[in-house]
Amino acid sequence: MPTAVRRHIINNPHRVIDEALDGFALTHPELVTFNNEHNLISRKTLTPGKAGLVSGGGSGHEPLHAGFVGSGMLDVAVCGAVFASPTADQVHAGTKLANTGAGVVQIVKNYTGDVLNFQIAASLADDDGVPVEQVLVDDDLASDNGNDGPGRRGTAAVVTVEKVCGALAERGAGVSTIATRGRDVVARSRSLAIALDAGAHPGESAAAFELEPHEVEYGVGIHGERGTGRIAFAPADDLVEQLVTPLVSSLQVKRGQSVIAIVNGLGGAYPLELSIAARNVHNLLNGRGISIARSLVGTYVSSLNMHGLSVTLTVADDELISLWDDAVRTPALTW
Amino acid sequence: MTNLIDGSTALAWFTAFNERFASTQAYLTELDRLAGDGDFGVNIASALERTQARLPPATEATCTTVFEAASRGFMATGGTSGPLFGMWFRDIAKGTKNDAAAVTDIAQGIAAGLSTIQKLGGARVGDNTMIDALEPASVALTAGAERGSTLGNALLEAALAARAGAESTADLVAARGRATYVGELARGVLDPGAVTIALFFEAGADTVGADTVGAGRA
Repeated sequence: MPTAVRRHIINNPHRVIDEALDGFALTHPELVTFNNEHNLISRKTLTPGKAGLVSGGGSGHEPLHAGFVGSGMLDVAVCGAVFASPTADQVHAGTKLANTGAGVVQIVKNYTGDVLNFQIAASLADDDGVPVEQVLVDDDLASDNGNDGPGRRGTAAVVTVEKVCGALAERGAGVSTIATRGRDVVARSRSLAIALDAGAHPGESAAAFELEPHEVEYGVGIHGERGTGRIAFAPADDLVEQLVTPLVSSLQVKRGQSVIAIVNGLGGAYPLELSIAARNVHNLLNGRGISIARSLVGTYVSSLNMHGLSVTLTVADDELISLWDDAVRTPALTW
Repeated sequence: MTNLIDGSTALAWFTAFNERFASTQAYLTELDRLAGDGDFGVNIASALERTQARLPPATEATCTTVFEAASRGFMATGGTSGPLFGMWFRDIAKGTKNDAAAVTDIAQGIAAGLSTIQKLGGARVGDNTMIDALEPASVALTAGAERGSTLGNALLEAALAARAGAESTADLVAARGRATYVGELARGVLDPGAVTIALFFEAGADTVGADTVGAGRA
């Protein structure tokens, strides 16, 4: 069997982000505006006096983050190149734009480049007189190496953090209350992912790695990198169990507790596969006496066109569920 | 004799830095390819290009506006080295209260920028990063300023200390920065960020020194 050459529906590899953001903004003119100098997607109308919410990072994770700009979630998404942090200059511009007088909360996934550039942007904004709080998202259980190194990666729990912080901001909370709650959501959340096939960068003909038909990459992140190991290819229920069991034990979820669950496609998994996975997430948790209070099933935080999925669990309480249920209207999430 | 960095000296410093970097870029890229991901040379070159585009005209330049332009140019660059240099230049710009900076102003700005970079990146001397050149240079410059050295002498001492610091990274295994991931493989390879710091101080020492000689001849 010849190795498939990856092709992409693009014009120019160097213009992928500009053109995609332009198209995105043209698609949702009632919700968002595109600033093409700094590659910012912002709400069509910002609310004066509301705490601003900014997130961002490398591109290639769509619909994250631009898809979550709108009422009830983010005010501004700062979009870097594929898998590369936006510059401090871009983040600074996004932070200033999001500030309508009450300061800004930055939601940052834990990667060296993102952390550095958001920190620099925060200190530049501070010099401008804009109070900035940060929530660092580091939910990926596979990259948990104790205290050594850069720490756990930030993955799909960022959606839960953006939803909950967005609801609080809409209710009129201040930046420090929002950030405290955001950090609490991170502490209650863990994610794990598997992949059958890596994605390929726009314009590149080869995938980031190749697997034999009997192999599954276990513990992958969202940048096409290798996981922490390989497991045997098996039916969906077996694969999902190998994600759910370590999550439950890491979070120490007890019988009678409830969770918010995200069954997330990494870009190449199709809805039928995700629903089959979601079915077993329900069965496994119900079998342990844990209820799924709310859940999302779909592609929310992708890794280009990686064929794989992640499961994120967040230990819930009444207040968290109430914030989750607040109205949201964004291109990728609406209720 | 120039004991102040005014706008035109600062512009000349960046021109000299640009030239030194351009002639060393291929070598620095090779160092980064051996110990990192190979994007260092391109990132710094594009930061210098952006700086060039933002520099004020010679008739309006002050030491502050030149370093501010460099700060913005580097801050708009990808990777991690560019933004760290950008924060460093920003503190140097902040340290120059007047149109021209004396040796004490520059020494204070450079020391403040060093501490900002360390706060952001967490690196210490011996971690095989730009800090291995920057910290000894900053210490030498501050000592020179306290002794009442001329600007030219103080910058020359800083340049020598930065170069020695950069050379010392050949024997180090990275504890911070991109070279962490290759560990022992980076032994024997100079850290490109540290070498670039040395180039910067050498450009400064040359610019101010040449200026002094030039004034003497005229």
